[in-house]
Amino acid sequence: MLKYVNTGIVFQEIPDEVTLAINISNCPCRCPGCHSHYLWEDIGLPLDTDAIDDFVRKYGTDITCIAFMGGDGDPKGVNQLALYIHETYPEFKVAWYSGRIRITSAICKTDFDYIKIGPYIKHLGPLKQPTTNQRLYRQTENGEWEDITSRFWKK
Amino acid sequence: MEIKNFTITKRDGSKDQFSLDKIMNAILKAFDSVEQPTDLGAISKILSRLDIHNDITVEDIQNQVEEALMREGYYKVAKSFMLYRQAHSEDRETLAKLQFLSEYCDSVNAATGSKYDANANVEHKNIATLIGELPKSNFIRLNRRLLTDRIKKMYGKELADEYIDKLTHHFIYKNDETSLANYCASITMYPWLIGGTISIGGNSTAPTNLKSFCGGFVNMVFMVSSMLSGACATPEFLMYMNYFLGKEYGLDYYKRTSEQADMSLKKRTLDKVITDYFEQIVYTLNQPTGARNYQAVFWNVAYYDRYYFESIFGEFYFPDGSKPDWDGLSWLQKRFMKWFNQERTKTLLTFPVETMALLVDENGECKDKEWGDFTAEMYAEGHSFFTYMSDNADSLSSCCRLRNEITDNGFSYTLGAGGVSTGSKSVLTINLNRCIQYAVNHKIDYLEYLGGVIDLCHKVQMAYNENLKELQEHGMLPLFDAGYININRQYLTIGINGLVEAAEFMGLKITPNDDYLHFVQGILGLIEKYNKQYRTKEVMFNCEMIPAENVGVKHAKWDREDGYFVPRDCYNSYFYVVEDDSLTIIDKFKLHGAPYIEHLTGGSALHMNLEEHLSKQQYAHLLKVAAQEGCNYFTFNIPNTVCNDCGHIDKRYLKECPHCHSKNVDYMTRIIGYLKRVSNFSQPRQEEAARRFYAHAKSEV
Repeated sequence: MLKYVNTGIVFQEIPDEVTLAINISNCPCRCPGCHSHYLWEDIGLPLDTDAIDDFVRKYGTDITCIAFMGGDGDPKGVNQLALYIHETYPEFKVAWYSGRIRITSAICKTDFDYIKIGPYIKHLGPLKQPTTNQRLYRQTENGEWEDITSRFWKK
Repeated sequence: MEIKNFTITKRDGSKDQFSLDKIMNAILKAFDSVEQPTDLGAISKILSRLDIHNDITVEDIQNQVEEALMREGYYKVAKSFMLYRQAHSEDRETLAKLQFLSEYCDSVNAATGSKYDANANVEHKNIATLIGELPKSNFIRLNRRLLTDRIKKMYGKELADEYIDKLTHHFIYKNDETSLANYCASITMYPWLIGGTISIGGNSTAPTNLKSFCGGFVNMVFMVSSMLSGACATPEFLMYMNYFLGKEYGLDYYKRTSEQADMSLKKRTLDKVITDYFEQIVYTLNQPTGARNYQAVFWNVAYYDRYYFESIFGEFYFPDGSKPDWDGLSWLQKRFMKWFNQERTKTLLTFPVETMALLVDENGECKDKEWGDFTAEMYAEGHSFFTYMSDNADSLSSCCRLRNEITDNGFSYTLGAGGVSTGSKSVLTINLNRCIQYAVNHKIDYLEYLGGVIDLCHKVQMAYNENLKELQEHGMLPLFDAGYININRQYLTIGINGLVEAAEFMGLKITPNDDYLHFVQGILGLIEKYNKQYRTKEVMFNCEMIPAENVGVKHAKWDREDGYFVPRDCYNSYFYVVEDDSLTIIDKFKLHGAPYIEHLTGGSALHMNLEEHLSKQQYAHLLKVAAQEGCNYFTFNIPNTVCNDCGHIDKRYLKECPHCHSKNVDYMTRIIGYLKRVSNFSQPRQEEAARRFYAHAKSEV
């Protein structure tokens, strides 16, 4: 069962979108040097379709995108919620920040508009560093995945 | 009179042993000074009339001596005694001024040194700013006297006394009490366009070409500003400039700006000619001004989208019978904004404060796509300006804080360019935190108590208006007589401060929630009720959440000293708590959205503090969010970094200079509406700026 600790409106994580970021707990990645230690434990409120409905009721079209930050403990759960959002609220884009090196084939990637992959590796740095191992992909209109990581490097 | 061991209270508040000898000596000196002989018996009779009690003040004893002298029939002696007292009190005043003078010289900056009405628009302290500071206390006394005399005439002595009582006990605050002039105005320059500055006491005739327009404009703004205590907005500036450009280079000049337009060796292009005029005007108007105590003039301009422009200037005619050309103006507005944004990376330029006026449709989309797009583009390029969004062209800003409804868009050759003439004559602010706490502590219904305070404020403002009318009748207000400002379109403004703090005292959470909304609407609705009640054909009222650059600090200090609940050192000038990092950007738009600002007819600009710049698409969406939430007046505020070592200016909020890598950096930010260096703000305001939460665009993941 997915749980989330808090949410925030963010601008940097997903370029050009006004994003509701949902911080999911019980993260199995446990990257050394992680900035969000508090998300390692199994804490917070249940993240289900009811929670999604509440968010949408609260923010309406003030946001353009909903991002799952984490959730690698239950990737299928994340996938189901992504599908739910696309089917119920087609006006929103869906993003997933995963800490895994690759997305398992059990996941239907087309249910997402943006996917970030890659654990945090201290000496390679975060997305903002051109040396980063992390990658952000955007699904283009013809269904291909475009690497837009370089958007983070611009001044 | 029985002699006991009394103590008396001296002027500085300290205690001293009572001495009969001192009083006797003073009385004898008074007799001597008018060469009237006296004896011990007479002196004893005078002394026997005195009623001395413990801790009596020196003033009180002297008052009694005066009266005793008169009652005993020594009128000449009494007069001499009064004159002696007067001379001493003048000495004391001079001494206090001397002390202020030396303290001012030692203060860290001009705003901290200022005793009354600190203003961050004074960059440096020097002899000119000091000259401006010294008479401020006299102006306050004079203004209070003018007002109370008028209130007595109109409403009786009791109300005049209540005004002074509420003022000295900080339930209310009179803004700009150190100036005699009315507050701020959005002027029409039409009278200048047809008659030059002669009607307002100048000697220049009407501008006839681009050069005389640009030169004359600067002089005209200086003249107008010296007759206002606050800002001067010139919403027609670029429209007139476009008119003269068209006359000189043809209506399609903007299509040929790369052509050479200058016969000098420099061979300047038309674009360079135009931006050189921008440079001349903007740099001159940012200079400290002699007639304004070395403050720059608070110059404001407006940009319009096509629809806003058409609804305001649709019926406008230039003296030659032509109508303004939108295509040229649209180009010129964009050119000015781009140029100004660029120029700000070279020099810290505060003025003009710019407001973009956009019309939106019922879905929150900008009616003029091109200009909505351009607005987002300019924000993304790091330009800092205000946006005013409305579904009809009902308002204009007269300064960075007040937007004023415009009632009549009709153009008239005698009255000038219709709706652009508006503004605020005077601001009187209610300290809501103190009023509400006082009522609750005394078990009075706070709305009922506030009703009394609001009513008082309206009467005081009515009295101010009568004084202003009298000044006008004596020919002291040429801006009104010459038609730059229409007195009937100027508002009397009720300011509010301490709203959030009062809500916190009531135990409310400062988030978008029904209880807080109900609280806000209850108070602002009450003010609006009185605003409507007092409205007549010639007076209009509006309500503004004042920026409280220094009032917010003063109120917090005074209220704390008097034992009230004060949650922070500087009262907020927003509907949210400025240091609260749990609120999202969208929460802040909601808290400045339609339900909250509905009754705030004079406006309150939301300063959306961000740590990093957003992309054009993101700004475009936020414009839509603002429209959807009904937040009609806002700006995005990302501190610009100024390197103290190499002078480099960067649009980003950085800890280190990207040019020379010095960590000795300062920031340019908007605290009161004006974009200024943080180090120029008064000490308490600098502390508020440091605590202020700049929303991280990035989450913590």
